[in-house]
Amino acid sequence: MEMLLMGACLSVFGLAVCCLAFGAATRDSEYAAAAAPAAEKELTKAAASPARFFVGPPVLPMAARTRVPIEALLLQIENHVRLEHAAAECFLESPNASLLHSRTMSTLVN
Amino acid sequence: MADIDLLKGLAPEDAERVLALGKRATVSAGAELFHLGDAADNIYVVARGRLRLTLPMQVRSHEEDILVEERSSGQTVGWSALIPPYRFTLTASAPLETEVIAFSREALTGYFAAHPDTGYALTLNLSCVIGHRLQLFQAMWLREIQRMVEMRCA
Repeated sequence: MEMLLMGACLSVFGLAVCCLAFGAATRDSEYAAAAAPAAEKELTKAAASPARFFVGPPVLPMAARTRVPIEALLLQIENHVRLEHAAAECFLESPNASLLHSRTMSTLVN
Repeated sequence: MADIDLLKGLAPEDAERVLALGKRATVSAGAELFHLGDAADNIYVVARGRLRLTLPMQVRSHEEDILVEERSSGQTVGWSALIPPYRFTLTASAPLETEVIAFSREALTGYFAAHPDTGYALTLNLSCVIGHRLQLFQAMWLREIQRMVEMRCA
C-alpha cells in the first residue's frame, strides 16, 4: 500500500514537472516569435554598418556630404566657369589637343 | 581710346567721330544693363568698371543667374543689336558702378553707310569680338563634352 502511494505521488510529481517544463517551453517559443522581427532588424543594421574595431570619425551619409549650401555651390560654378574660360583662352593662344583637354582643378568636377 | 576693341585700327579722328555717336550711361552697382530676351537696340563699350554676362540655370529647383563671361574696360557687349532678331541672348549686370558708351543700331548703320571704310574696319573689329567668343565657347563646350564622355566610360 505504501509502495502504491509512493508510486502515485511520484507519478503526480513527475506529471507536474512535465507540465511546468511544457509551459516553460511554450512560453519561450512565443517570446522568441514576438522578438524575431526586432532581432532581425538589429541583425540587418549590424550587417549594414561596417565593423568598428578602430572607430574613426562619424561617417556622414553621401546626401549630407554633397548637400553644400547653395551659395557655396554657386561660387563653385562661377569658379568652374572662370577656370574653363582661362583654359579655353590658353587653347586659343596655342591650339593643340593637349591644351584643349588639359585637366581642371575645379572643385565642381573633381 | 586705343584700348577700345571696337575702334582698333581706326585713325584717331575716325575713332573720335565714332565715339561721338555714343551716349555715356552709368549703371549702378547691382543693376542690369540689359536682360535676356530684351530688344537689343544698342551695342555697348565698357568705359569704366565691369559687366557680368549671365544666363539662367536651374540649381536645386531655383533659377539662378550663372556667370558666363565678364567684360571690362574697352570691351564690347551687346552685339545682338547688330544681328537679327535683335534680342539680347544674355543678361548683363554691373557688379560695381560701371560706365558704358551706348551706340544705337540706327546711328551706327547710318554712319557705316556714309563712311564705308570706317564701317568696314568696325565690322572687322566686331567680327573679331564675335569670333573670339565663338572659339572660346566652342573650346569650353568640347571640354564639357569630353568630361561627360569620361564619366560615361568610367
